[in-house]
Amino acid sequence: MSVATPYHDREAIFSFWPRHNETLLKRLESKDAWLSTKRGIEVSRVEDALEHEMTLNIGPQHPATHGVLRCVVKLDGERIEKCVLDIGYLHRGIEKLAESKTYQEFMPYTDRMDYLAPYANNVAWCMAVEKLANIEVPDRAQWIRMIMCELARISSHLLWLGVGLMDAGAVSVFLWTFQGREDLYSIFDEVSGARFTVSHSRIGGLATDLSPTAIAMIRDFATRYEEIIKGWQKLLNRNRIWIDRNRDIGVISKEEAIELGLTGPNLRGSGVPYDIRIFEPYLKYDEVDFTIPIREEGDCLARYHIRVEEMLESIRIINQCLDRLPEGPIRTDDAKKAYPSKDEVYYSMEGMIHDFMYTETGVAPPKGAASYHAIESPKGELGFYLESDGTGCPWRARLNAPSFTNLQGLESMMEGHPVADIVVLIGSIDPVMGEADR
Amino acid sequence: MPETLKFHFTPVDEARAEEKNVHEKASTNVADTIEVLQSQFPGAIAKVSVYAGEYTAFVKRESLLQVCTALKETLGFTYLVDLAGVDRFCEDAPRYEVYYAIVNLDTGKRLRLKVLVDEEDAVVPSLTGLFKAADWNERECYDMLGIRFEGHPDLRRMYMPEDFAYHPQRKEFPLLGIPGSLPLPPRVPEGELTMDPFAAARSGSPAKSYQEPKGEDA
Repeated sequence: MSVATPYHDREAIFSFWPRHNETLLKRLESKDAWLSTKRGIEVSRVEDALEHEMTLNIGPQHPATHGVLRCVVKLDGERIEKCVLDIGYLHRGIEKLAESKTYQEFMPYTDRMDYLAPYANNVAWCMAVEKLANIEVPDRAQWIRMIMCELARISSHLLWLGVGLMDAGAVSVFLWTFQGREDLYSIFDEVSGARFTVSHSRIGGLATDLSPTAIAMIRDFATRYEEIIKGWQKLLNRNRIWIDRNRDIGVISKEEAIELGLTGPNLRGSGVPYDIRIFEPYLKYDEVDFTIPIREEGDCLARYHIRVEEMLESIRIINQCLDRLPEGPIRTDDAKKAYPSKDEVYYSMEGMIHDFMYTETGVAPPKGAASYHAIESPKGELGFYLESDGTGCPWRARLNAPSFTNLQGLESMMEGHPVADIVVLIGSIDPVMGEADR
Repeated sequence: MPETLKFHFTPVDEARAEEKNVHEKASTNVADTIEVLQSQFPGAIAKVSVYAGEYTAFVKRESLLQVCTALKETLGFTYLVDLAGVDRFCEDAPRYEVYYAIVNLDTGKRLRLKVLVDEEDAVVPSLTGLFKAADWNERECYDMLGIRFEGHPDLRRMYMPEDFAYHPQRKEFPLLGIPGSLPLPPRVPEGELTMDPFAAARSGSPAKSYQEPKGEDA
């Protein structure tokens, strides 16, 4: 009896990218396990292929891979011998798209890069354009940007903590951290009018000022969550299961971390004190008092400690910013460099013309100008390298995404660990595919 | 058909290096490192440009590996932050350039190197032997612009599947894509594939994934 479904008909089965899968497998077979070669560990070859050797494909549609990440691993029993990561399943070509957009038009695309901390991306883009076009930003806008960047950092780390714990089997923390993210969404909603993709920063300043309600909400959040995060630390820092799942997993030494090019908490977890907020202070980070947590161990537990301590440092920064928030304009007054205020647009002819011209052309940096500006996003160094051809659109917009470089390190980090640790490792690296795939 | 007219306001204004940039950082002032390189490898650095306090050294392709080895081994630039290609697409050859951002973690300096690459001979020596971090970035540059990296152990495409024949970030690649360049399944589980993913490129409008309610007068 024949079954007349397309799935049983061999001719009707369509295979996506046959050559791609072929080269992927060929790479897996031919590659050397970098870390074990480097550390001089002999990988014992087991003869019985039926019992031990196995090629396993995880993803791209797998809930534990935090997005569309595809890992092809070669297993020896339950241990990963070597691994090849395949990314690009969320590739939208935003670098190419940027070339046909004006600088301000590109802003909503940055929201969708690291969608867990959209505000940090907005600020990174704005600051890169401001450096390229030499635009000064008023003080108040800089302080507000700092507050919102730190809130974005907390929001991103909250998701990492909740999901990371859920990967390790503790579901309740996920619900608690999402309560925190819900509070943050309400703040973003009050500040910008959007909960998720905020697009609130503007070239030369901000779209709107903080309302008194928003300031009260941020202050309330900062006071409440200091205690709550310390409570989570009490729960987890001495938690037997959490420590057993994380200690000595994915160990990366200082030299290896630099060679692999890791950024952000993953780099600092290996003992490299590289944080853009200290390395080349932007906004007003050189005027506030904070420390960057650093650990020497380089394992998943160290990365966990760093992220949680970073959240507490962020709250410290937010409190200082709120105390020192100066009065003043929130956007630069130069109509060639930033949008005029809505009052001007509605009630003056020049304002309307400027608004139109800014939407049509926007800011035009000088021809041949090229600059790179990076900020410390929750995931690491998020930089934009921009080149201008003298028009309102960038000639080349290069996005240096922290998740991309961290994923490259993950490929080596997985070697030698059991399959069950893949999930914990991906969680501790904290990749966002929207950013890694550009 | 008449040509579509569009007004472009293009105030082309040349970059002025002497203008003080408000966002200038001390970390990008690497004039002394470039001087050291120039004295160590005479003729290797063709040009040095400065904008917004950022130094860019244009290194000749044949001396790139030498310069980077010296940077890593003796000058302490151990941390490769970024590597990417740029399509200059201009009259004066060469067409492409590859840029490298390398950081010295001890002295807190950030250096940018650039290599100009000719269109006919788009090959650059790979830095993977020096910096492991260059691996994926070089693959991405190859995928997007078609610049080949000599000595790269695994020069596959980074984002696009191997079945794709183009290098999409070249300036001549159309923004809407090329119909038929990606094999798509002929049918979906519900039946034949009716939606055209390249409708915009074929100057049609994309099919809606939902049914619109009928108006009252319909």
